[in-house]
Parts: sequence; structure tokens; C-alpha cells
Amino acid sequence: MGRFLARRLLHLGPVLLGVSVIVFLVLHLAPGDPAEVMLGANANKEDLERLRVQLGLDQPLYVQYLTWIGHVARGDLGRSLWMKRPVLGEVLERFKATLLLTGTALFLSTVGGIALGIASATRANSLLDRLSAVASLFGASMPTFWLGIVLMVVFSLWLGWLPASGMYAPYGGGGLRDLLAHLILPAVTLAAASVTIIARLTRATMLETLGQDYVRTARAKGLGDRPVVWRHALKNALIPIVTVVGVQAGYLLGGAVLTETVFAWPGVGTLVVQGILARDVPLVQGGVLVIALSFVLVNLAVDTLYAWLDPRIKFQ
Amino acid sequence: MKIGRLVGLALLLPLALALGAPVDAQPVGTLVVGLVAEPVNLDPAQVTDFNSNRVGRRIVEPLITFAEESTRIEPNLAESWTISPDGLQYTFKLRKGVKFHDGTPFNAAAVKFSIERQISAEHPANKIGKYPFANYFFGNVKSVEAMDDSTVRFILKEPRASFLVVMAAAAASMVSPTAMMKAGVDFASAPVGTGPFRYAAWTRGQHVTLEKFSDYWKGAPKIDRVIYRPIVEDQARLTELLTGTLDLIVGVPADFVAQLEGNAKVNLLKQVGAHVWYLGINNSKKPFDDKRVRQALNYAVNKEAIVRDVLKGTGAVSRGPVLPGTWGAEPNLKAYPYDPAQAKKLLAEAGFPNGFSTTMWVPESGSGMQSPVAMAIVMQSNLRAVGVNVTLQTMEWGAYIAKLRTKEQELFALSWAAGSEDPDMVMYPLFHSTQWTPNGPNRAMYKNEKFDALLTEARHVTDQAKRAALYREAQKILVEDAPWVFVDHEIQIAATSKRVQGFKLHPSFDLRTETVILR
Repeated sequence: MGRFLARRLLHLGPVLLGVSVIVFLVLHLAPGDPAEVMLGANANKEDLERLRVQLGLDQPLYVQYLTWIGHVARGDLGRSLWMKRPVLGEVLERFKATLLLTGTALFLSTVGGIALGIASATRANSLLDRLSAVASLFGASMPTFWLGIVLMVVFSLWLGWLPASGMYAPYGGGGLRDLLAHLILPAVTLAAASVTIIARLTRATMLETLGQDYVRTARAKGLGDRPVVWRHALKNALIPIVTVVGVQAGYLLGGAVLTETVFAWPGVGTLVVQGILARDVPLVQGGVLVIALSFVLVNLAVDTLYAWLDPRIKFQ
Repeated sequence: MKIGRLVGLALLLPLALALGAPVDAQPVGTLVVGLVAEPVNLDPAQVTDFNSNRVGRRIVEPLITFAEESTRIEPNLAESWTISPDGLQYTFKLRKGVKFHDGTPFNAAAVKFSIERQISAEHPANKIGKYPFANYFFGNVKSVEAMDDSTVRFILKEPRASFLVVMAAAAASMVSPTAMMKAGVDFASAPVGTGPFRYAAWTRGQHVTLEKFSDYWKGAPKIDRVIYRPIVEDQARLTELLTGTLDLIVGVPADFVAQLEGNAKVNLLKQVGAHVWYLGINNSKKPFDDKRVRQALNYAVNKEAIVRDVLKGTGAVSRGPVLPGTWGAEPNLKAYPYDPAQAKKLLAEAGFPNGFSTTMWVPESGSGMQSPVAMAIVMQSNLRAVGVNVTLQTMEWGAYIAKLRTKEQELFALSWAAGSEDPDMVMYPLFHSTQWTPNGPNRAMYKNEKFDALLTEARHVTDQAKRAALYREAQKILVEDAPWVFVDHEIQIAATSKRVQGFKLHPSFDLRTETVILR
């Protein structure tokens, strides 16, 4: 186990290096460099040339990359080209907000999805099961931004229960209640698609597990419904569910970009989008590295969970 | 199932908690503004976008400013000025007793510092900033001399009659030399100037807060602080305004205008901005090198329909590049009414009785671009009706700007915000033949020697009446040549809550919150 973890952590280096090369190349091969984007429609030749020199864009690509990676090795992600602020601080600050949002959404979708899935599986073909199937189809096919706007119109504009956007009220506020009030709409929006996927999968695996011989045996020896479902069946049905939850965690990290934009949530997603539009290379590199790192760590956590759930799984 | 109920309760608990916390109204004296995007930084010499400038210009100010609701120039930190007869020396008398927010005095040395940091590579503050438009605005400045503490002289390389307007640009704002040298690179995030508000705080991604500067030389603002919140999503901005958590929003989308017009909770403000949206035509490429073809395109596009149905009243039909009603605008410009028959006739005369095929490049979005794709689709169908088959190519803004430098464009959608009414600020860069891309922004590759001569002459004459006459003649030539299809001038729309009084939009797209009084 320890050796497995160590080896997986060693893999982190090459993965992140690969990610950084790809992001760097994509940003540089996309038409339009930072100087051009900044000057926009008003650009004249002298300003463009001067800015390119100031930004180091006159250097060959590999020199630009090596300079950057050299700094990263020393823990310095550089400064944003236009915001002028150190990228590391900026990204970590914003990542906290993203983590809170995706964490909450993941919690909602996992707990909600498993509960709904079990309820559907134990009452297969009941009214609840059918309603849940319809709701799942709806949840999975709705675009995030649309759902976000609908929730905002209903709960903020019409009912006035919840604030429409932001993370804290810009004056006063700042407390836990203020944060929760701002968190609910974006977290529910982000969780909507995942909850349905997890619910459908839980239902399917639970149905399969409940049909196994050992479940019949458990029932035959007189165990009640609850211990059969929760102690025997659920734990064995969990492996595919954990896999999907892991995938959903990655999906939520990526999907947070849209939700953050709709609700003006100050996360790393909006920051990276802003950076891409301005071709702010250091900022995008920093943001993507942090997201990639967390994605890899989530996968590692999922793999480790397998062993705990099913002792038959051994790490080689 | 007990556990199910528990889970349900756990999920509902935060909701119940949050519902117990009603949204607070703003404290008295605090104005909350919803911006379309977060400012990049707050030093106007180091940014190019509206949203950064809308905040930064509250902190720092230029020597010359624009009057209320107009781009007529007025003295600001300079009380008066004289221009040498050859148009090469501009001498400014500075206002005395003005202090920067850090308490240091505003003087001739500060003026010299504020401009030279941008144009001189040897200047100590040149390395701690990046100045995107240094050449565009101040490339013509040879030197800045502090004559005495309150007199400063700009020496130009060649005459440019619009220099006073340049000195009213955001990039020409005055910064505290002491503060900038102390803060270094970080100055851009928290600049120090002489403006009505001083920088207070910036929580990234959430809000920028400015506080009133009590010693402001024009008198302190009537409000204590302004909080700017970046909210990209239109519906969110609108909801916050209607629920009373925002006081002022700009950039109200066309689709929301009708909805807000009848709402008793808000005031709607409208004003035509110094902006022009155009369909550029590559004048150097066949078949567009034929004037009749370009005129035919002008007759074919239904500008009224675009303004009415796509922009829904957030644009005014344009006939030329200069804002109508200003001193340099020609009032009797030739109009190209929607006339498909005339367009077909001109195309036939030019040898295209059956039309031709071409491509139109369109950015997906972009500063000042309004609704580019929807507008382009209308133009595409207008042109198809006269036999011109247009293939639309939409691009992301950064890619689009880069692609326009290839000179391969045939038709392309673009806009220009001159920031002032001086015709030199729009006609020279966009139509003078020295400004052909990649040297400058003349992406239509327009060239007319007579037009060039008029524009050059108008730069050398300092008398405004004479300049006006030259520009009016030049506009007639231009519109007859039809290098673009002029589409519209943007009407900016702002909405405020009822407690906001005294706010006025400005045609330069600035957002002057210092005039606000909160009821």
C-alpha cells in the first residue's frame, strides 16, 4: 500500500509536466498573442513590437517554456501579464472558492444520488422509481447555465430567498450564513447532472447485487431488509459507484467554470477563462496546473478507496 | 427509511439556515456598481478595456477632461494652456495646491513622470509597468519639460491638432511618482492619484472598493464609497439590481431594455457613445476595389432593421465615422438607404449581374461589438438577396484580431470607440493610408490621396473651425468611396436603482460615479 502510494505520487511529476507542455503549446499555437489581444482593434506596429519585447514574446518558444519551468521548479509560478500579481497566490486564493463549490456539489450529488438510487432499487418500478427516472433524464440533459439562470430567477428574483450571485455580500456579511446563502444556488446547479448519474448507476448496481445468491442467503437466514440492503448489498455495490463518483469529481471541477460564471463565484475557473481570453500564459498555466493536480489526486484517492472497500483488490 | 429522512434533513439544513439570513440593503453612502467584467488592473496607462478604466479613472485624472455628457474638452488638473504658432509646443499651467492621495503635491515633475514613464525606456518607472498604447498616444511626444513647479511644456515631433484630446485620454492620467516608485509593479493594482476616490480594497473575483477622497480639489464626492462587483452573467446583474443589491449597472443587454423600461424600481439611462460599428470591406481586393461594388453593399444592408430588431434600440444608424451632432461631423452626409434594387443595379454595372461569393469574418464577441453574430446573420441574408453569397466565419476575439493582420479579409465586422468626438481620433487611424494594417488599424486598406491630404492638413491647423471644414470635406469623400458599410453608433444603456440621483452617462463610455448622490 505504502509503495503503491509512493509510486503513484512519483507519477505526478511526469503527468504535470505533460499538462504544462500541452497547455503552453495550445496557448501559443492559438492565433493571437497577449500583446495583440491587449491592443485589440487599436493596435499599431510600434506598440505591438515594444510590448512583445517587454513580455518576452520575441524569444523562441522553447526558451520561453524553459524560463517558465525553471521558475516553477523554484516554486515561482510567475506574475500574471496584466494583473501584475503573483500567479501562485492568485490561483490558490481562487482555488479555495472552487474547492468549496465543487466539494459541496460532490457531497450533495453523492449523498443525494446514492439515497435516491437505493430508494429506486428497493422499490423498482414504483411511482418513486419512475419519477426518479424522469427527473434523471431531465437533470442529465439540462445545460448547467440554463438551470442556473432558472434557479436564480425563481429563488432570487421572484421569491427573494437567496442572493443571486457572488460569494459574500460586499458589505457587512462575511459570516457562515452569508456564505451558505450564496453557496446554495451554485452548488445545487452544479450538482444537478451528477446526482442523476450517480442515482441511475446506484439503482442499476443495487438491483444487480440484490439479485445475487449471497443476498438471497442473507434473507433466507432471516435478516431484515435494512441490514441486507445497507450492510451486505451496498458495500458490494459501491465499487462502480466510487469509480463514477471519482469521475464526477473531475467533471465537477471542469463544469464549475460555467457555474462560476453564471453566479459570479470567484473561483479558479472564471480566472482561467479570463486568462485564456487575454492569452495570459502564466496565469492559465498556473490555474491549469492546480486543477490538473487536484484531478490526479482525486483519482489516486478513488484507487485507494477500492482496496478499503474490497480487500480482494491488491496493489501491485 | 430513517436514513433517507436524515439525509434529507441534512440537505435542507443549510437552506433553512440561509433563508434565515435576509439579504441586507446597502449601507447609507455606499454605491454598489455591477460591472460586466473584473478590472484587470487600475492604472489606466496599463490597461485597454472599459471596465478597468471605469474604476481606474476615479482614482487618477488627466490634465484635461471632457465636459459632462459631451467630449468637449475642459481644463482639469491644467488650468490653462497655450499652443505655439507652429503647433509643436503645448505649455500647460497647472492647478496649484492639488495633492495626491498619499499627501505628496501634484506638480510639473509629476506630469513629466506620468508621461515619460510610458515613452522612455530609460525611465526608472518604465520597467515596472507595461504601457500598451504608449506609441499610439504619445509616440509624437519628443520631450516633456518642467518649466517651473506649475508649468509644463510638451514638445512634439510634428504638429497634431488633436493633442489636447490625447491629453484627456485615460492613459494621460497623473500618478504620484513617490507612490509608484515605492509600490513598484504592485502600483497597477492600487494606484495613487488626485481623483475623487482613493483605492481602498480589492478582493479578487469579488469586488473593488474605492473610498471618497475628502481633500479632492473639486470638493469631496457626496457618497462615502463605491463598490464595484464583476458579474459576467447578464441575468445575474439584472437580478441583483432588481432585488436591490446593486445600485447601478451598465451594458444592459438589448433583450432586457423593454423589460426594464416599465419597471418602477429602476431608472433607465441612454446615451449615444463615441463609437461606430462597421462592416469593413477590403478595398484592395477584387471585386471590392470597385467603388460600385462597395456602394452596392451599402445599399443592400438593412441597417434600420439591424438597429430595430437585433439591437432593439441600443444603436443609432450610422452614416459615417464621426459622432453626429459634434463639431467635426458633416450634417449632410450621403445616406445609403436600404435599396436592394439599387444594389443590384450597381453590381450589374460593375460586371456582376449574377452577384458573387465572398466570406465575412465575425468575432464571437469583443469590446464594443454589441451582438456581432446576430448582426452578421442579418447582413448575410441581406446580401444574399442581391446575389452576394456570403460565408460567415466566426472566431474568438484574440484569434480574430490576429487573423485581420494577414490582410486576407474580404468582409469583416469590427467597431471603434474613439473615446472622443475629435474626428482625428477616428478618421486618421482607420482611413489614412499610412495606417494600413499591420502599421495601424486601417484594415479596409482604404486609400484616397485627396482624403489623405485633407486629414494631414487638418492635423497641422490648430483653428477648430478650419479643422471642421477640412474634416467635413473628407467625410463626403469617404462616404462616397464607401470603404465600409457604416452600421451603427452604440447607445449605451445604464440602469440604476431609484435611490441613485445625479448620475449621467458619458459618451466616452466612462462611468462617472463621483456625481452620484444617494437618497
